[in-house]
Amino acid sequence: MASTHVTKRAKYKTTIKDPGTPGTLRMTFEKILFVPHNPKSAGKLDVEFRYIKGQKHTKEGSNKPPWLNLTNNQNGSFIFEFENYSDLQECRDFVGKVLAKGGEVSEKPTVAYPDEQLSAAEMELRIKLLQEDSELQKLHKQFVLSGVLTETEFWATRKKLLDREASKKTKQRLGFKSAMISDIKPSTDGRTNKVTFNLTPEVILQIFAEKPAVHRAFLSYVPNKMSERTFWTKYFRAEYLHSTKNSIAAAAEAAEDEELAVFLKQDDILASEARKKIRRVDPTLDMEADEGDDYTHLPDHGILREGSKEMTESQNELYKRSLSQDINRHAAVVLEGRAVDVELEDTKAVAEALAQSKQKSSNKGESDGDTSRERLDRLSRMTEIEDLQGPNTLPLAPLCIKDPRDYFDSQQANALRSSGDALGEIEQIKCGLSTQEVYGSLRESISSIKAMGLKEPIVKPEVAHQVFDALTNSISNTKYHIGKNPQESVLDRLPRKTKEELLHHWTSILELLKHFWASYPITTTYLYVKVNRLKDAMSNIYPQLEEIKGSVPSELRHQVSLLVRPMHQALDAAIQHYEASMQKRSAQSGERPNGYV
Amino acid sequence: MKFQIEDVTVYFPYDYIYPEQYSYMIELKRALDAKGHCLLEMPTGTGKTIALLSLITSYSLSKPETSIKLIYCTRTVHEMEKTLAELKLLHNYQIKHLGPQARLLAIGLSSRKNLCVNPTVLAAENRDSVDAGCRKLTASWVRAMAAENPNVPTCQFFENYERAASAAVLPPGVYTLQDLRVFGKEKGWCPYFLARHMVQFANVVVYSYQYLLDPKVAGIISKEMQKESVVVFDEAHNIDNVCIEALSVSVRRQTLEGATRNLNRISQEIDRFKATDASRLRAEYNRLVEGLALRGNLPITDNWLSNPALPDDILKEAVPGNIRRAEHFLHVLRRLVQYLRGRLDTENVEKESPVSFVASINSHAGIDQKTLKFCYDRLHSLMLTLEITDTDEFLHIQTICDFATLVGTYGRGFSIIIEPFDERMPHIPDPILQLSCHDASLAIKPVFDRFQSVVITSGTLSPIDLYPRLLNFHPVVSRSFTMSLTRDCICPMVLTRGSDQLPVSTKFDMRSDPGVVRNYGKLLLEMVSVVPDGIVCFFVSYSYRDGIINTWNDSGILKEIMQHKLVFIETQDVVETTLALDNYRKACDCGRGAVFFSVARGKVAEGIDFDRHYGRLVIMFGVPFQYTLGKILLARLEYLRDTFQIKEGDFLTFDALRQAAQCVGRVIRSKADYGMMIFADKRYSRHDKRSKLPSWILSHLRDVNLNLSTDMALHIAKEFLRKMAQPYEKIGGSGRKTLLSEEDLEKMGDGGMDEMLY
Repeated sequence: MASTHVTKRAKYKTTIKDPGTPGTLRMTFEKILFVPHNPKSAGKLDVEFRYIKGQKHTKEGSNKPPWLNLTNNQNGSFIFEFENYSDLQECRDFVGKVLAKGGEVSEKPTVAYPDEQLSAAEMELRIKLLQEDSELQKLHKQFVLSGVLTETEFWATRKKLLDREASKKTKQRLGFKSAMISDIKPSTDGRTNKVTFNLTPEVILQIFAEKPAVHRAFLSYVPNKMSERTFWTKYFRAEYLHSTKNSIAAAAEAAEDEELAVFLKQDDILASEARKKIRRVDPTLDMEADEGDDYTHLPDHGILREGSKEMTESQNELYKRSLSQDINRHAAVVLEGRAVDVELEDTKAVAEALAQSKQKSSNKGESDGDTSRERLDRLSRMTEIEDLQGPNTLPLAPLCIKDPRDYFDSQQANALRSSGDALGEIEQIKCGLSTQEVYGSLRESISSIKAMGLKEPIVKPEVAHQVFDALTNSISNTKYHIGKNPQESVLDRLPRKTKEELLHHWTSILELLKHFWASYPITTTYLYVKVNRLKDAMSNIYPQLEEIKGSVPSELRHQVSLLVRPMHQALDAAIQHYEASMQKRSAQSGERPNGYV
Repeated sequence: MKFQIEDVTVYFPYDYIYPEQYSYMIELKRALDAKGHCLLEMPTGTGKTIALLSLITSYSLSKPETSIKLIYCTRTVHEMEKTLAELKLLHNYQIKHLGPQARLLAIGLSSRKNLCVNPTVLAAENRDSVDAGCRKLTASWVRAMAAENPNVPTCQFFENYERAASAAVLPPGVYTLQDLRVFGKEKGWCPYFLARHMVQFANVVVYSYQYLLDPKVAGIISKEMQKESVVVFDEAHNIDNVCIEALSVSVRRQTLEGATRNLNRISQEIDRFKATDASRLRAEYNRLVEGLALRGNLPITDNWLSNPALPDDILKEAVPGNIRRAEHFLHVLRRLVQYLRGRLDTENVEKESPVSFVASINSHAGIDQKTLKFCYDRLHSLMLTLEITDTDEFLHIQTICDFATLVGTYGRGFSIIIEPFDERMPHIPDPILQLSCHDASLAIKPVFDRFQSVVITSGTLSPIDLYPRLLNFHPVVSRSFTMSLTRDCICPMVLTRGSDQLPVSTKFDMRSDPGVVRNYGKLLLEMVSVVPDGIVCFFVSYSYRDGIINTWNDSGILKEIMQHKLVFIETQDVVETTLALDNYRKACDCGRGAVFFSVARGKVAEGIDFDRHYGRLVIMFGVPFQYTLGKILLARLEYLRDTFQIKEGDFLTFDALRQAAQCVGRVIRSKADYGMMIFADKRYSRHDKRSKLPSWILSHLRDVNLNLSTDMALHIAKEFLRKMAQPYEKIGGSGRKTLLSEEDLEKMGDGGMDEMLY
């Protein structure tokens, strides 16, 4: 369908029950325009397509009239009734095309009313998540497949999981290997004198990063002047010459072959980079500045040939490169990390990507106005002697939690004892401030915010850290105890099977409760149905819990009942609430909630 | 905090003070009261610098009628920056408590290279090119020319500074080199000349040793300092070496060739001037008849490195007649170069005293001692007359004149050694003639004579009685402080055997033994796997280090080390070393951890701190003895034996151990810091070697740690690190306090103090 718009006669209905306003529906790639026949009626509509999330329609042959339901991203919907099914199909295809262009929603038509449209990728992700996490899979099986929860409901509470999974797709970047490139050892075939080097794009990237001159040579020579193969052959020939430490031979070879000379010479790019970098180093390390004041080491002054000063051969120095230089360079590159983030396939691509990233970083480097400021700050921080300073406590009032159990309710029964400890510890932290002081400090900070606006860290990181420490103290405590002494955990003393069952029940109860409480207040029939389903599922758990209690050996029964008790309590509370609200509902059944069909 | 030491109120910018800092201040105050010199050893990591600065500034605050100037000498520019940063902290504190009367002016002074802000001049590579580049724009004759011809380039910053004239002053405050540059850029004034000018008015001047000790520089920079100044040499354990190096010159073939080129150029210039402006040469002649003393009136920009060693009275004498005329002087120099060339063509090693050398010059080249003595200044004057600005091209002839003046001035304490080749490379002919100074007291004598109080201080001055003999002075106070520790935060160990229980050493006959090299490698490999953050390794020399690293590289040990930590290496190229250090710190900061390979007696060992996580372990591979077969060292040892009755062996051990102590001492910065030190050589377990270590290291060297093998050392290291990771009480446990608060000091008063401190 090549047409850029569709125009059909249709009726626009605000709800399903609405008899509809007759008019003309015109859809272009950008927007949907509905003009009623009767200009006085109110049903005029003008919606941009980008707000449309998906479409639903009735099937031909069902007893419903041809409806097209377009949902927008605020969960509202526009329903159009067409004169016949072919019109509907045309419009449906058009909408499908436009939505596909938006790339958001697949065209998989679904009929089930509360279902959402899923892209294949999302589906895949969910399947993957289920496969990876057996507990999740169990829950899914238990509730979704048995019909207690729908697929959407199940995942709606796990949006975060889906998000995180999605963001994880950008993998952690790998750094360079710690091994040096000179460690690439050739393999020989054993018969001839030929050696073979295996170069991976990984290694090549490392070579380029460590030797900018080779990188530059590669960009300018390959493939115009020589093939990539010849290039690397020359490179390793140069490396071989270098490894023989025979600088005279290297000089001779370099004189004959100017391309080879590029590899043998000192790297001029490195030298110029070094000069640039040296301006940015910490002044407390800058030994280069010392040379400025060193008047005894003028050429030929001072004492030569003493143990410390050794001779350097000046001849052929151009072609000498020491191992220490290589090591330093290597470590610097490893430290800098990988600047390029491309799929390593093609050498050429690698070379160009590296060149680009260098360009960027050099541009960035030019605007280093405040780096010197930063350097000075650092210097002054370093000059202070930390332990001579007074105790550097920041004004803070520890949070006072009346019942830590409220806070740490995710902890299990065995955590209770240690959280009791934590309570004690929290009390031990001296409340260094009186209420007035706290109030004063609050006022002060508010007025400073008024004056200066919010500054970057609103709370000082140190303060935040300290408060956080106090809060999490007991969590880490519990973990510590459990990790340290397995005997202290009640669960570990139970038989394996019972333990697993208990844990499973605990998670499934949590899941159910989560959905249950999330459904209140009940505003739609859908929720009403859902709550009923959940309630049934919950009441099924009681006998199961009793069964577990009965199955354990008598000496552990008490422990188990301790563990089960909070579950019971939670369930009881939910069911009580359910019953109470049911009564209320029946009392005022005359009124119907919004959207009740 | 502030407290009272006798009649002086000391302002100290921290809430607590270490007891040794307090007693250090007391001793320092006594020396200042007595107006004498003093020698103070206090371990690194106890805040020497801040103690010193706060006492001296407080002392001068309490005695406003006598303006005491502090001249603080550091060895390196980065130490200068650090000192100024500490002073800034102190100054802020004093201003806060005393108000505007505590204001002082403190500046750092360095060469043009570090202070210049003119981008065209700064583009030059080294110091001498920068100096020359500056002169090309600011020399008096260049500026005179520019006044007539606007196309002649000048330096905008200097012109602005000149125009501002007496208005160009620095407001009170503490200025690091960076601050000076920023200030100069802001105002458009040349920071270098501004700083040079402000030296006279500053209360605190921080600069390099050379500015006081090297007579070439001292003559111009330090001549206006008044006698009441207090001079401090910080990190002065190597001061004797600095002194003798300042007065040593060597001449090689390249020097002579360069000098000949320079002479040719000078003779061309003379011819040119004769043709165009003969009056200048005549004016110079007349001035020389009157003596050299007139130099003081030269414009500041024409000033040069001054005479290396002339006593004041010589400056008033007339220059000898035979070198007053330019071409005559040129002939003398040519003859001198010719003579030296002849001396270099020798087959054997020769050693001579300056007296006989001068006699020989006199008979062969016809130049007498007095003429030699004046060479340096005569050259200086000639180059000014000839308006030569590219002074960096004339270094060779300056060296020759330097040599001539030294040899003509000093009859004792020097020797001239001519070697046809380097002993370690006998097949390469590389003749060298060296004038080496043996007597450190010669260079430092003017300082002791001129200034009322000279403080020599360092973390390692043991044995402390040796320094007064080497430098020939009489300190009124000479004290060595130990370190009071809250916990055993340093852990020195002597490792005598490797993992295979065979002895390790860098003794000459053992050092190339593959077993020793492997054992050293294994030691480091084990340590990198247990020690967090930074590790520093010191080797005895560059060549030994390069050899050992090559071997480790070949045997794969280096690769294994790299699995744990990044490796950085000090090279002779300072730029590369600086970058390597910067990266090393980054690696430690980001938690990756790194190893730094350095060399004892190298630049890093002298000046860089590896405090806190930058150095949790130092390994000293071997004993850093000097190259004992070197002719110069032998001559110096002979001189020391004859004049000071110091035995050769004693001096060598003293020298090696102070270097070793210096290397390992760089790990500690404060008492909250901790670090381990491994002396990996069997010779350290001998009492005669070990006992030369400073007492603060010795007191922590337990007997069980004296004879360890690699596995035992590893075990101790693990234990130590575990212990150090625990929280501890900063104030110190029962009995001795290691941190004093203001109340503690008041309580101590006079009576209780002694038992608490000593």
